[in-house]
Amino acid sequence: MAALSWARATASPRIPPRCMRPAPRTWLRPWRRLLTLIGALSTAGAAACGGGDDRATPGGEIGGTLVVVMPAEPGTLFPPQVAGTQGAAVISALFDKLADIGPALETYGDVGFRPRLARSWQWAADSLSIAFTLDSAAHWHDGAPLRATDVVYTFRVYTNDSVGADAKSLLANIDSVTAPAPRTAVFWFKRRTPQQFYDATYPMYILPAHLLDSIPMERVGRAPFARNPVGTGRFRFARWDAGQRIELITDTTNAAGRAKLDRVIWSIAPDFGAAAVKLFAGEADLLEQIRTENLPQLAQNPSLRLVVNPALSYNFLGFNQRNPADTAKAHPVFSDSLVRRALSMAVDRDRLVRNVLDSLGAVALAPAPRALIADTAAFRSLPYDPAAARALLDSAGWRDSDNDGVRDRNGVVLAFGISVPNSSPTRQRFAVLLQEQFKAIGVKASPVLLDVNAFFERGAKLDFDASIGGWATYPGLVGIRQTWMSNGESNELRYRSPRFDALADSALSAFDRELSRQLWGRAFQQIVNDAPAIWLYEPRPPVAVHTRFVIPPLRADGWWHGLADWSVDPSQRIDRDRIGLAAPGGAR
Amino acid sequence: MVAALAAAAFAFVCIQLAPGDPATALGEGVPEAVRERARAVYGYGDPLLVQFGRWVQAMLRGDFGYSTGQHRAALDVVADAIPNSLAIVLPGLLLALVAGSAIGTWQGVYAGSRRDRALSLVAFVLYALPEFFIALTLLTLFSVVWPLFPSGGVVSDMHVYLSPAAKVTDRLRHLVLPSLAVALFGTVTVVRVQRQSMWDAMAQPFVRTALATGLPLHRVYLGAWRASLLPVLTMFGVLLPFAMLGLVFVEQIFAWPGLGLTLFNAINARDYNVVAACIVVQGVLIAVSTVIVDLLREAADPRLVETAMQSAAQRAVRS
Repeated sequence: MAALSWARATASPRIPPRCMRPAPRTWLRPWRRLLTLIGALSTAGAAACGGGDDRATPGGEIGGTLVVVMPAEPGTLFPPQVAGTQGAAVISALFDKLADIGPALETYGDVGFRPRLARSWQWAADSLSIAFTLDSAAHWHDGAPLRATDVVYTFRVYTNDSVGADAKSLLANIDSVTAPAPRTAVFWFKRRTPQQFYDATYPMYILPAHLLDSIPMERVGRAPFARNPVGTGRFRFARWDAGQRIELITDTTNAAGRAKLDRVIWSIAPDFGAAAVKLFAGEADLLEQIRTENLPQLAQNPSLRLVVNPALSYNFLGFNQRNPADTAKAHPVFSDSLVRRALSMAVDRDRLVRNVLDSLGAVALAPAPRALIADTAAFRSLPYDPAAARALLDSAGWRDSDNDGVRDRNGVVLAFGISVPNSSPTRQRFAVLLQEQFKAIGVKASPVLLDVNAFFERGAKLDFDASIGGWATYPGLVGIRQTWMSNGESNELRYRSPRFDALADSALSAFDRELSRQLWGRAFQQIVNDAPAIWLYEPRPPVAVHTRFVIPPLRADGWWHGLADWSVDPSQRIDRDRIGLAAPGGAR
Repeated sequence: MVAALAAAAFAFVCIQLAPGDPATALGEGVPEAVRERARAVYGYGDPLLVQFGRWVQAMLRGDFGYSTGQHRAALDVVADAIPNSLAIVLPGLLLALVAGSAIGTWQGVYAGSRRDRALSLVAFVLYALPEFFIALTLLTLFSVVWPLFPSGGVVSDMHVYLSPAAKVTDRLRHLVLPSLAVALFGTVTVVRVQRQSMWDAMAQPFVRTALATGLPLHRVYLGAWRASLLPVLTMFGVLLPFAMLGLVFVEQIFAWPGLGLTLFNAINARDYNVVAACIVVQGVLIAVSTVIVDLLREAADPRLVETAMQSAAQRAVRS
């Protein structure tokens, strides 16, 4: 680990790609002639792959192929229904928004937003509408011009119940979208908020009405478009070989300019292990969410480097506030904030995070990643203090009356299960370590390993005591409405605090930045003190990428933003970078 | 076909009993409202009987339904996977049949010799190894330590840009390791059956008679080999459909999008229609392989045809 360099843009000594290295000969034995023959075949294949063409693609930083290996296949490329980072990365390259959020992920007003499909925008005097003027040069990949009716149609799709768009809840403040002119789209809002511009631009990729409008809404997600999309992005769709790869190529006539890379291929692996093998074999250039166990191997590979990927996610041990046996009643243990605080103070989160994640994570401070918290000094976390935790439990009436090492009260033992999904080794390790830390204060916690579907089903039915959950958030703190406020539709712990609700709502509504910052500080202090959960960690899984790529700093809401500006160092090009935009079939 | 549909119906009901549904399989961080909308759209909130009735009606129309995991027809999902599975299973099992039969026959003839005991030990060890271990070993040796072959996938990611000749080579290179894994797994299975069967055949009176009459040894062994084939062919008939859907680990390790991996992913994603479609395919494969094996058995032992004809004639006389 210590030898591992965390580089943002460091170059490494160039090594020839795997397919150009001489094959080792030490294994040859006469009785393995068959293998020799097969080896010769493979060498021929490698030569065919290389083609022996040493020409660099003209045009300096233009050209190159990025192969991203992903451990799961997206189900669809229809933007409103895309779930998971794999699909999000692909549609981000294919489709555009009206305006793009800045690298600081600022969500107040239109500060930092950069024009994309909209060339400019005009706020109404009462700030209850924004008129976007579309770029007259923007067109769809099939050649059709972009029109305001596309924006109107997109809003209809994203807000239609039968489509089931994840982002629908973010559009609740938009009353309607109209198209008074072919290239003017007007967003009408229900009320003034600081996030109006963000609401209008961030959640929606603009869809081509001329291709989809004739399809009934309940069937639009099933249309062939979902696997053969047409967008306006700087990359256009080339092919999707089911279970194998998705390929995009640069749109050379794009109004925003062609992408620097010629193509991006998302190579599909069935799991993380297979994806890592592909990366280390030199068959892929990028793998996101590298795990700690891969770091030593990565440190020994001079053609790969780690790039910091500041993800917008956090994980926590959540305490169910309702009784799993009867959800109408309060939880017999966790409804008491003294118990929750005691449990929080019994956990040494620094050591836990270091133990499980090493440098690939940080202690979470509150129900938001620290990248979105304006002032982390405005509130204080509960300290690690096992003695104080024991005292709190004593004062709450939980004592070890029978000296069996586990506290009890009125015949009820202070014991609970920690649900973890079997898909997450990280959470399983946290659960085991938490078990030990709780044991030290006389609390019996038992990890409950669940199939991932059972985990979510139990979560929805509130059929658990405690569970290690996580949220990947949007920029801004608007998601807190859904996840932690009393009436939030994703408030799976049923945490209720009118005071927190009021503070968070005021903070979200405040147009004064300083006031908002102060209110958020108070809101976070409130929820930290209430301790509906123990904020455990913010994962910071870096992206492993081949050293030949020159890339801008990665955005926290997805490494793939700005992919069109990635380029290949001309002096480090390998065979697959030299193919250019030749038609498939061997033309070079 | 009826049995296949019955098995698919059974699978459809069984997987519905497992925790979760396609809406829970959407993953973490999806609002409950979105899950509810998905249930409403696909009808997974309906009672099991209603869903089952809807599924049976669709199946009777030849409609295998919609894949909630892949957002396309379930039949398309399975149809994409079948050729991939066949591509590794057919050459792998063919190699297994040839090599396993040859080795097993030799062992049967020289049963008890030191070489036989050594081969039996090797076969036993290989037989005891799980298929994923064999696949991982092959991958480590020939893709990581000696990078002779690609680590996975049906073809390389740049396949479409290769020349026609290079495309063929590329496809063959990708086939080698997964097929070899299937072949190794199949060979040890065939070897064990073939050896025992050949040993039994060599003890038959007709072999002793043939040897006593001074027939050339190769003709005697050929006759014994033919007689020993019946159990091997029967076992092969079981191996083929099993390999088509059962090589989940091999397909996963070599990133090979075959039927096994498709079924595995569909179960995890609670993609009910794809699971049912895979089971139907499995049933059809069992039926087809049974017919093929019956034909091969009759070719290996013509007495089976005569017996069948006699039975048919007796039934005709009785009626």
